[in-house]
Amino acid sequence: MAKKGELEACWSKINYAFPILNGTIFTECTNEEYEDIQEIVINLGIQIKIRDLVIIHIEKYVRQNIVPSFWAKFVKSDVEVKGFQLFKTAINDLYDSVTNFEPMLRKLSLLNSNCSDNMPIFGERDIILGFKQLLRATLLAQIPLEFQYIIYFFYKVSFNVFDNEYENSDMGEDVMCSGCWNDYSDCNCAYIVKVFHDTNRKLMELQLLERLAGQVLTNFIQMRIESHIQKLCTGTFDVSHIAFLENWLDTTVMSWLTRIYCGGSSKPPPDDKNVQNAISKFKQKLSYYLYHSYTKLRIDQLFNIIIEYPDSQPAVDDIKLCLDKTDLRPTLCKNLQTALETRLLHPGVNTSEILTAYVSTIRTLRHLDPSGVILETVTKPVRNYLRNREDTVRSVVSSLTEDGVGSELAEELAKFAADGEDDLEKEDLWDEWNPDPVDADPKANSSDRKASDIISMLVNVYGSKELFVNEYRTLLADRLLGQTVINTEKEITYLELLKLRFGESQLHFCEVMLKDVYDSKRINALIHQDNSFGDSHIMCNGMILSAQFWPPFKDESLELPDVIKQLLERYTKCFEALKGNRTLNWIPHLGNVNIEIEIGQKKLDLTVSPFNATLIMHFQDKPEWSLEELHQVMKVPITILRRKITYWQSMGLISEKSADYYVLVDGNDANRSNVATSQVQEMICEDEESESVMASAHDQREGELQVFWSYIVGMLTNLDSLPLDRIHQMLKMFASQAPGTECSIQELRQFLDTKVRTHQLVLQGSMYKLPKT
Amino acid sequence: MQQAMKVTVKSWTGVATWRWIANDDNCGICRMPFDSCCPDCKLPGDDCPLVWGACSHCFHIHCIVKWLHSQPQQQCPMCRQDWKFNNK
Repeated sequence: MAKKGELEACWSKINYAFPILNGTIFTECTNEEYEDIQEIVINLGIQIKIRDLVIIHIEKYVRQNIVPSFWAKFVKSDVEVKGFQLFKTAINDLYDSVTNFEPMLRKLSLLNSNCSDNMPIFGERDIILGFKQLLRATLLAQIPLEFQYIIYFFYKVSFNVFDNEYENSDMGEDVMCSGCWNDYSDCNCAYIVKVFHDTNRKLMELQLLERLAGQVLTNFIQMRIESHIQKLCTGTFDVSHIAFLENWLDTTVMSWLTRIYCGGSSKPPPDDKNVQNAISKFKQKLSYYLYHSYTKLRIDQLFNIIIEYPDSQPAVDDIKLCLDKTDLRPTLCKNLQTALETRLLHPGVNTSEILTAYVSTIRTLRHLDPSGVILETVTKPVRNYLRNREDTVRSVVSSLTEDGVGSELAEELAKFAADGEDDLEKEDLWDEWNPDPVDADPKANSSDRKASDIISMLVNVYGSKELFVNEYRTLLADRLLGQTVINTEKEITYLELLKLRFGESQLHFCEVMLKDVYDSKRINALIHQDNSFGDSHIMCNGMILSAQFWPPFKDESLELPDVIKQLLERYTKCFEALKGNRTLNWIPHLGNVNIEIEIGQKKLDLTVSPFNATLIMHFQDKPEWSLEELHQVMKVPITILRRKITYWQSMGLISEKSADYYVLVDGNDANRSNVATSQVQEMICEDEESESVMASAHDQREGELQVFWSYIVGMLTNLDSLPLDRIHQMLKMFASQAPGTECSIQELRQFLDTKVRTHQLVLQGSMYKLPKT
Repeated sequence: MQQAMKVTVKSWTGVATWRWIANDDNCGICRMPFDSCCPDCKLPGDDCPLVWGACSHCFHIHCIVKWLHSQPQQQCPMCRQDWKFNNK
């Protein structure tokens, strides 16, 4: 047992070796001195106690001195350079104080090696590593709220310098160095780079780089990536950016990151697996982020990309590539759908524009996703919307068969005819088969999705060809009757193209219509040769139609002037002579008339409708007419008369003297009217053409459903009362093959409802019944 | 009263529909309208004309010829009289 005095001496020696026990770090204790002291400690058998005591004191010192003074430097500051400096000093000081600990730690590990308990120090066998662990733990335990600010500034300033290094294109033009925002004369870049690498090396050594700066670094780089993408990719869709962006990530960003991790050298040390792993992990993360943000940006622009397609094909290619690497498919569908809805599907947009956009969407998405799943999902609202627009069918049909504005579809139609024979090749492509994407509707057939082309997508808006064929028929009828010179050849070409798509039988009616027009020319020629027709100064032509094959005409009455009536009668006589057992029913309000009007010194040569011709001929006989009188002679409803007489008013030939009383304008006045004739003529021609002579689609449909009425009456007489779906089924059984006889259950319900309203039917519960007589 | 206007009609293009002058609307054999064509034809009128029998019944020519070919006796399907073409 040692005496008390000896023990005190020993204690002071221990204190001398481990000054931390008194709250300081510095000591003059040399290694030789320490060995002696350790000898004493071991002899006393208290090495474990001393070690633990020292560790406790170190812990306390770190907690109370080093860490608070480190964090004290993390003040929120608005000046970037100040932040840069603060962070640098903080790290330097921390590094210095850790270095100061080193001699003591070495002594401690010597002491530890003499302890036999093998206790790990803070989870580590080695004292030095344990100390670093302690330091990190304590640092992070006391982390202040706003510590990231100056770290952010630090990296921002240095990244700026690096950026500048790589893109130093316009040096010398600015007075300021774009790296450090100083004048060139005292550019700070070199200093910044040096400090930066120094600090990073120290952080690496302390193993604090990822803990302290990792988050900031990631955020910061992501922000840079985003702003770089923004800067690069707004507005232009005709260039592919993806390769360029990848290159940028590889060179600028990654080399910067490598330098951070490797303390200044641009290549990672070949033997340090840890650093290499960290860097490659970081790179994976960043390239995913790059694709993600780029795709996001493109998805936001997708509507515009679609509108500009095919010029924007590179952008679409980029998205296609990126979609495979990211999980943005659902986002794309949702965003595009919303964009379509807000920008397209509202009353302010013309149907033809919606159609153009729809066609463009189909093309783009087909390129983007050949499986057609995205297309199907995204365009659903468009299809639903188009179904509710009244003029959709008309727009589609007219753009199918017209040159000019809507010619895209006409081209598409011609294209279909051209590449109809490709199907055989598809057999060989079995080894390129891919499964449907996960978001595909399992109920739908994938080959349907792929096969449907643009026109069938449009036709499918309604789910049946019938409506389109019927609309085409009406349109064709309008065109054939509205034109004075009919380009039959062109119409036949279109008809042939349409036949390829819709099938011969559907378009049979249209074929007959075209033949009627062609035959009429021949008949006209024959009748004009016929002497019995008599020589009239009026050239009389007929357009002789097969009523069964034309769409129903609008039911309008018109009493023609006697001269014309006689003329048409003579024509009928000739026709009867020409074609035995057949006669003609004239439709007075259809056709066109070429008239010459002489008034004063003015001569007008006009092509007008029979109505207008009749009207002006009446005014030739008598210059003043009341509306009532006109109604008497022309047998036309007054409202229509009032509307149509405006034609001659606009020509300046007739004026309304008093209410519903019209007079012919005086010849001299007429000369003075300054309406340029040709101008008016054009204007009126347009006006005339815009009005269809055919019964409206709705009326037509009503007429077609009327066919069913007799069946329905028959059914109900025999079976007393029937529910809707039963009637529908039975009609389906009896329905003939004539066009338009396909009838949906909704249509039937509407039709039956109109019958209920007119008391021709009674609805009891859900059963339809005939009213008791 | 000054009468200064003179209207000259140079040409008049009218629109008309043709029909057969017959005592019925539909062909008694195929039940299609006379003005349309028989089920075997595509084009009405000259390509699918009507014929009248001595009994004054008339049919699409294709329909009645087909009928006569399929029957042992040459009778009008409407009135069972002997069928004779009426070449009026």
